[in-house]
Amino acid sequence: MIKMEHIHKVYRPQSNPVNALQDVNLHIKTGDFVAVMGPSGSGKSTLMNVMGCLDTASSGTYWLGGVEVSSMNSDQLAAIRNRKIGFVFQNYNLLPRMNALLNVELPMLYAGIDKEERSSRALDCIGRVGMLNRLHHRPSELSGGQCQRIAIARALVNSPDIILADEPTGNLDSVTSEEIMSIFQSLHQEGHTIVLVTHENDIAAYASRILLFRDGRLNSDEVLSPSPRTIPNLVMNGDAL
Amino acid sequence: MNLTESIRVALDSISSNLLRSILTTLGIMIGIMAVIAVVAVGQGGQQTIMKEMDKFGSNLFQIMLDWRRDEPPTGNEFTMQDLEIIKTNVPELKYLLPCASSYSQIKKGSQTKTAQILGTEADYARLHPLDITAGRFLTNSDCQSRRRVAVIDEEMAQELFPRDNPLGKRILIGNQSLIICGLVKSDSSPLALGTKYVYIPIRVWLDIYPEGNISYIEGSTRNLEDITLAMQNSIKILEKRHRNEDIYQGVDMEQQIKAVNKVTGVMTLVIGIIAGFSLLVGGIGVMNIMLVSVTERTREIGLRMALGARRRDILLQFLIEAVVLCLLGGIIGMVLGIGCAFLIAALAKWPPLISWTTILLAFAFSATIGIIFGILPANQAANMDPIEALRRD
Repeated sequence: MIKMEHIHKVYRPQSNPVNALQDVNLHIKTGDFVAVMGPSGSGKSTLMNVMGCLDTASSGTYWLGGVEVSSMNSDQLAAIRNRKIGFVFQNYNLLPRMNALLNVELPMLYAGIDKEERSSRALDCIGRVGMLNRLHHRPSELSGGQCQRIAIARALVNSPDIILADEPTGNLDSVTSEEIMSIFQSLHQEGHTIVLVTHENDIAAYASRILLFRDGRLNSDEVLSPSPRTIPNLVMNGDAL
Repeated sequence: MNLTESIRVALDSISSNLLRSILTTLGIMIGIMAVIAVVAVGQGGQQTIMKEMDKFGSNLFQIMLDWRRDEPPTGNEFTMQDLEIIKTNVPELKYLLPCASSYSQIKKGSQTKTAQILGTEADYARLHPLDITAGRFLTNSDCQSRRRVAVIDEEMAQELFPRDNPLGKRILIGNQSLIICGLVKSDSSPLALGTKYVYIPIRVWLDIYPEGNISYIEGSTRNLEDITLAMQNSIKILEKRHRNEDIYQGVDMEQQIKAVNKVTGVMTLVIGIIAGFSLLVGGIGVMNIMLVSVTERTREIGLRMALGARRRDILLQFLIEAVVLCLLGGIIGMVLGIGCAFLIAALAKWPPLISWTTILLAFAFSATIGIIFGILPANQAANMDPIEALRRD
């Protein structure tokens, strides 16, 4: 599903170069549930931006779903983000003036899907995150956990190849975090490919594979045992804490 | 994203900041309002004047003493003899008649009224569309034999004889007693300003006002093309007879119409320039608020980009918002302008003329301002870096 080869990302290459990513080689298969961990400044955000096609790598090649995206222009990248990637953000990023249903419909607006199809697909996705009773609530009328459920529904609505979740439980209490993570877990079981950035071990423990970044390099790549909720020592002793 | 969605988003964004949006479009509102009101009233006025002139017929001319001269034109006044000589020497003329007018009192018993007393001849009714509602107008024999008769307008008749039939009744003008021989419909046009008229034979008028003189001469020709020639020849005869030059001034209706058009043209230009500045200022206001809006909604822009909005989707969204904002201002301005036009017209007593061209122009203008002043903010929004935009608080 995702293949990265020799990915480098350099910020401010002229004046004061910062090597955010250095020679990252990565392969994520369809159906993987990957947690990306690392201390701040380790390059995990940059990796997410490149992986999410919000940014392009300085060098290297990046294939997403069999398409090479590293050389695409901004319109093509917009189309990739629209159809192949579902974003879930730490701060939900719902539009405050729109109700839950319209927020979920938003990605389909840019995909040019007609009104009936939009609302039926949005309802389907909202149903999957258990929010059908809050369709016409605005984000300000919803709790953080409810907002994140709506955001997940929005990420699912164009049937993306991968779901990119950037600290999705960062603003939530532990009970709500568990609820949200169980949604990701069931999406994983349905066969979705998920890449999750987190610095919390117990959140990372839901994943089936953990990528640890340090100083812009992929430091370790650990496949977890099928039984979730056990936290490998590697991560426990890592810089994540 | 299609157009209706974009417009819906724009309306949503405008309504969520309603007060700010209204204040923003105030400049455009006022500009459009001023244009609509002034154009409507101006065109209404022009139409009224034109209608008034049409009544006289375009082959009519008038010769009067030039009032612009410093010294009063004593000794050069028109005489009845002048008219006779002009008539025989200018073959193009169809009618030529003297007009003498004074604004003075009419008595009936103890009642006193004031009216415009016009001394003229029978042909006056051929040059002006008088509507005789009872009796008859002045006749040639009235005029030749100085018959003491008067034709009054209906409003005057109503005031003097509210219950009786005024025909055959006597009124007193100056020291002369006159018999009412006919009624004409009152001039209801706004330019008449409610003046009441009494028509009497010219010679009778001159008897009543021995100090008075013929105020002006009216004439018309058989053919429209001859009008300037006939007028000039008549003036030449007058100048020769009075041994004076540049003292008689002639106007024909063509000239009058041209003068009116020139005045309205200048007025339209001046208003256009003022409105242009107002709309320019309004447009800058819209640009300013759109820049604020783009900054405020940086996160939204970043999110929309992350969800798949292309740069041109974002550009279009903000451009449409600017256009919708301007159009709303334009529509409100238009409604207010039409209201103002009706108000002014009601006070001025002439109908406002609101043409589709004006309305369409106002629409097009508002939309154009939106596009011109929306480009910069929309472009700024479209060129944002999605990562930076998403990170913004």
